Amino acid sequence: MSRVLTIIRKEYLERVRSKSFMIGTLLGPALMSMFIWLPVMVAGSGGDDERTIGVVDLSGDSFGSFAAALDERGAAHLHLLPVGCEGRQEADCVAELKSMVVDGTVHSGVVIAADFLETGKAVFYNKSVGALVVLDNTLRPALSRALREGRFAAAAVDRDLYGYLTAGSEWSSISLTPEGGEEQQDGDMAVGMAFVLIMIIYIMVIMYGSHTLTAVIEEKNTRMAEVLLASVSPNDLMLGKVLGIGAAGLTQFGIWALTFFALSQRGVTVGEFTLDVGFLTPIILVSFVVFFVLGFFLYATLYAGVGAMCNTVQDSQQFHTPLAMGMVVPMMLLALVLRAPDSTAAVVLSLVPLFAPVLMFMRVCVETPPLWQIVLSWVLMIVSILLSARAAGKLFRVGILMYGASPTWATLLKALRT
Amino acid sequence: MPESALQLPPVGEPILTLRGVTKHYGEKRAAHDINLAIPRGSIYGFLGPNGAGKTTTIRSIMNIILPDAGEILLAGRRLDRTLSDHVGYLPEERGLYRKMKCRDQLGFLAELKGVPRREALARADRWLDRLDLGAWKDRKVETLSKGMQQKIQFAATFIFGPDLVILDEVFSGLDPLNIELLREMILEEKAKGTTILFSTHMLHEAEKICDAICLIEGGEVILDGTMAEVRAAFPLRSVRVAWEGDAAPPEGLPGVRHVEHHEGSWRLTLDEGADPAALLPHLVAAGRLTFFSANRPSLGEIFLAAVSRQRREVAA
Repeated sequence: MSRVLTIIRKEYLERVRSKSFMIGTLLGPALMSMFIWLPVMVAGSGGDDERTIGVVDLSGDSFGSFAAALDERGAAHLHLLPVGCEGRQEADCVAELKSMVVDGTVHSGVVIAADFLETGKAVFYNKSVGALVVLDNTLRPALSRALREGRFAAAAVDRDLYGYLTAGSEWSSISLTPEGGEEQQDGDMAVGMAFVLIMIIYIMVIMYGSHTLTAVIEEKNTRMAEVLLASVSPNDLMLGKVLGIGAAGLTQFGIWALTFFALSQRGVTVGEFTLDVGFLTPIILVSFVVFFVLGFFLYATLYAGVGAMCNTVQDSQQFHTPLAMGMVVPMMLLALVLRAPDSTAAVVLSLVPLFAPVLMFMRVCVETPPLWQIVLSWVLMIVSILLSARAAGKLFRVGILMYGASPTWATLLKALRT
Repeated sequence: MPESALQLPPVGEPILTLRGVTKHYGEKRAAHDINLAIPRGSIYGFLGPNGAGKTTTIRSIMNIILPDAGEILLAGRRLDRTLSDHVGYLPEERGLYRKMKCRDQLGFLAELKGVPRREALARADRWLDRLDLGAWKDRKVETLSKGMQQKIQFAATFIFGPDLVILDEVFSGLDPLNIELLREMILEEKAKGTTILFSTHMLHEAEKICDAICLIEGGEVILDGTMAEVRAAFPLRSVRVAWEGDAAPPEGLPGVRHVEHHEGSWRLTLDEGADPAALLPHLVAAGRLTFFSANRPSLGEIFLAAVSRQRREVAA
């Protein structure tokens, strides 16, 4: 056991003292927040450019309510420019508006028909298809509202009654705990937060998993394998490497986590999206740590096994994809699990050791599954880790005698059977 | 600092015993029925051409590959991983962590053999000084010349105080000065009672240093014993002679089987058991003798003779 500790310390110190570790520790949060924030930023800022829209109001009294409805929808970036039509032919006004659109004086134009209150007709003039987004998301609902208001006003319904008649339903969402308790819940927030945590697991597993791969290949490139095997068993060597590299990964993550909690205290707000630390109930926190650690070691041992058979990183490419699939497939299955977290398919898939860090953890986040399922998935993962560490040791022993030859799936299977 | 105490035999008695060690790779017999007894405190030459089966046998001893059959005993106990702290190994495939500092590297390798950390680093310092590498102890291995790296590797093999050390082609790639330095160190370690298995295909190097040898060819041991025993088994078989005017030797010299001209002198191969001294009067009578030497056979010649004897036996 002391030999394993020696190897752990060597691998750990070698990584923690390296420049790339320091850079990674500093850059990591920046990269991760880009993953999380960029989509939010892009979604929030889309189409927020200032736009001027020329309006010819042939009906004569719809412009005011149209502008008010737009304001209410928070479309401050849209400026309505009334194009007066007093004492002119309607066709002349429309022609003027069209030429304004064409020569760029306004971005687009709206013509509200003279019989708007009866027919609800309006025409939208624009140069680019992109402007249609503005039409659909903002102008159309605002004008519809102006139409409704106009019609209610024409029917002499007063404003209070109008407000009462058009009000929407008010919802609140409450999640029931197994003990029968109630907690206020923000469904979107829970999924969003779970997604952030899963991304963290995903990135760390892929990043440090491949570290083990290169570290094992290094033993062969530096021809250390034979020297080391004269002192330690292949299993101890693999175990020491995986644990040492894992400890370095956990250190890095620990630094990030502490910084995050120190900075956020209670939550971090990005635009309209709030990361609420309060979401981390004890069960979610514990599962996160366990799935993080187990997922990490499962993939690390698998990568170590691949590295044991390969002489160069290039050699390992062919085995890389199937391994990465183990993380990508559950990402694609997330939708299925989210729709019905307790369906048979979701339960079975989330128990598969390779998928568990993503799927079972998502289930824990959205609806606490029975405890036995969580524990079973942990047990299955631990068993898989031990099996895959053993296999990696075996492959390493065979692999060191294979300098030069690129491995194939056939040699891989043969080595495992001996 | 081995974990498990080992009852070492007296000097001269076998410390390492191989019985019937066999390893086949498909059709190829990498090692076949290898039987060896290596006396404690000796430098034992494990000799043979490239591909003879030396490395396969050594890897079996080191538990890196599992032989198909046979057993390997260290001081009478089955040599498994629990005893690996007693055995040092310098593989032919040299390897060091290139990014690690010399001192850390030696310390790490000593620790892997069970030396406590503090002691391991102290020993690393001593070994680096002994190898004239003291100034380099905080330099990364990759900044060292190839010869220096070999010396580090050599130190790593001895640093934990093994009872048995296996050196596979230890001198390959070294300049004569460093070969001399390492040879002295091997002799020093031997004087301390360490047994050394010296594997090489360079027979003239083995000849200078070994107390006993075994010759291996085609995966089989074809000859083994102390140097004295081996020489006794292959007595003087040839003389070199030259006459003034580069005259040819007369026909019908008694006890001479074969005559060939070689680098300005004549090489006369004798019948088994023939006495060179009895031949001398005939040579003197044949002309004015300018050169006569009766050399004992080199290990290379013994090896060739042993191989041809082996083939005759197989054919018979």
